[in-house]
Amino acid sequence: MRIESAGRWLEDALLVGLFGVLTLVSVMQILLRNLGFAGFVWGDGLVRIGVLWIALLGAVAASRDQKHIAIDLARRLLPERFWRPVAVVVDAFTATVCGFLAYYSWSFVRDSRAFGDTVLGDWPAWLFQLILPVGFALISYRYASGCLRRIAGVKR
Amino acid sequence: MILLGALVLLLAVLGAPIFAVIAASALLGFTRAGIDLSVVAIEFFGIAETPVLVAIPLFTFAGYLLGAGRAPQRLVRLSQALLGWLPGGLAMISLATCALFSAFTGASGVTIIALGALFMPALAHAGYDPRFRLGLVTAGGSLGLLFAPSLPLILYGVVAEASIDELFVAGVLPGTLMLVLLAGYSYWRNRHLRGSVREMSLAGVRDALIEAKWELPLPVFVLGGIYGGYFAISEAAAVTALYVAVVELLILREVGWRELPRIVRESMVLVGAILVILGTSLASTNYMIDVEVPQKLFGVIREYIDTPATFLAALLGFLLVLGAILDIFSAIVLVVPLVLPVAAEFGIHPIHLGIVFLAAMELGYLTPPVGLNLFISSYRFDKDVAEVCIATLPFLLVLATCVVIIAYVPGLSLWLLS
Repeated sequence: MRIESAGRWLEDALLVGLFGVLTLVSVMQILLRNLGFAGFVWGDGLVRIGVLWIALLGAVAASRDQKHIAIDLARRLLPERFWRPVAVVVDAFTATVCGFLAYYSWSFVRDSRAFGDTVLGDWPAWLFQLILPVGFALISYRYASGCLRRIAGVKR
Repeated sequence: MILLGALVLLLAVLGAPIFAVIAASALLGFTRAGIDLSVVAIEFFGIAETPVLVAIPLFTFAGYLLGAGRAPQRLVRLSQALLGWLPGGLAMISLATCALFSAFTGASGVTIIALGALFMPALAHAGYDPRFRLGLVTAGGSLGLLFAPSLPLILYGVVAEASIDELFVAGVLPGTLMLVLLAGYSYWRNRHLRGSVREMSLAGVRDALIEAKWELPLPVFVLGGIYGGYFAISEAAAVTALYVAVVELLILREVGWRELPRIVRESMVLVGAILVILGTSLASTNYMIDVEVPQKLFGVIREYIDTPATFLAALLGFLLVLGAILDIFSAIVLVVPLVLPVAAEFGIHPIHLGIVFLAAMELGYLTPPVGLNLFISSYRFDKDVAEVCIATLPFLLVLATCVVIIAYVPGLSLWLLS
């Protein structure tokens, strides 16, 4: 449990910190450009990768809060006693899909590392792409643990 | 394979996250085509190759931060001072304010929660009947969809590879049409309410203007900056986010530093939920283009439909159903890549298509079974969902009329561009 809460804290801190950096770098680029400097060469690339990281970290946070966008018909149309079994199936499905996504993202990262792809000058691209497998693995973990808890009958 | 596809669809209806459903269909599709599945990750990485996307987290954060301070109260006071003298004026004020606010906060429910709570008692005090009030506030929650810098407009631009600047301009007249017709309805419906009219006081206007002096430059930055060609979209977003942060945290100090991480996290949850759908849909779209779904779709449609007018009618019907079950963001990333080429064959301008698409999807916020505004309103004002539906119906009909006009008068969307 302590690892879990430390992990959550880290996720949140990363998300908030990343957004701060993203805002500052974006603003700095505009300032520099308007003052007649070229701006950082790597600034725009950094911002774009920052958005990717925010997308994944935000999605992980959304999984924790159960805030992913979904068609919420079952809850409105089915009687309450079906809610839990339906949620178990839905969570298991989501965990599986994200497991696949994590696995194939990992193979994408591995290939990119083998090819020696670079971004932002000569940084290895795989370092920045690593968020894909890590993010999807975390989402998968959230849904899997949610699913198990539902089966065990524990309220989230 | 078809069985698996049907299963995935069933899971979507049962409430599986849309992004997982899209990812599953992409994985299935590519498996069938015998393509290595890491293509899904490669496509998802496309998020890092689309510069304008940075506008989405920045504008979303600015909207959430604005909602956390006292900006909504000031906005209400200012518009009341400006329009309070008009019969039915308070209803029109509510509509206009909701439109402005939801353009910034992306129709995510923040408007109903932040502004609705202010307008409900004010409208009650002015003698508007309960059903009208409820419908007005519910419909107001997504009125800003066609005005810059709404997220759906930006997302449509990204997905359709259309100019977001042009979309921002194109949305102005259609969005105004919605406001004007709703204002007309409000006036007609409350024509007996002459008693609530207040004297306009110049001092009142001046005080309200001074009070709102920090928020007033915002639309100027965003709209003036973008429309005037001074800022790119992502630059306007960065300036807006920084400006709102400085005003709320340093100048007015209505939001404490301690609340900041929570607000950032909350807004980034929404951003993550939208972008993860976009990322997975990049892969599924790629698959559908690969197997030529748009061409096949066009072939089928061509058999039954041969004029742009009938195509638009069919499209509106389809979007009405789509909007009733799917949220606007998923609908954009899933459907636009398919509809865009077909519409182009019928000679429909991509910018016009975008405005029609979003206007029609705006109705989806107010239609059962999944209309977001209905549920937020029902939750916020503690009313039965069925009651909210009935209260919202007249507003829905007015908006539907607007959508038809917007679809069949392309000039409304395109005139300002030329």
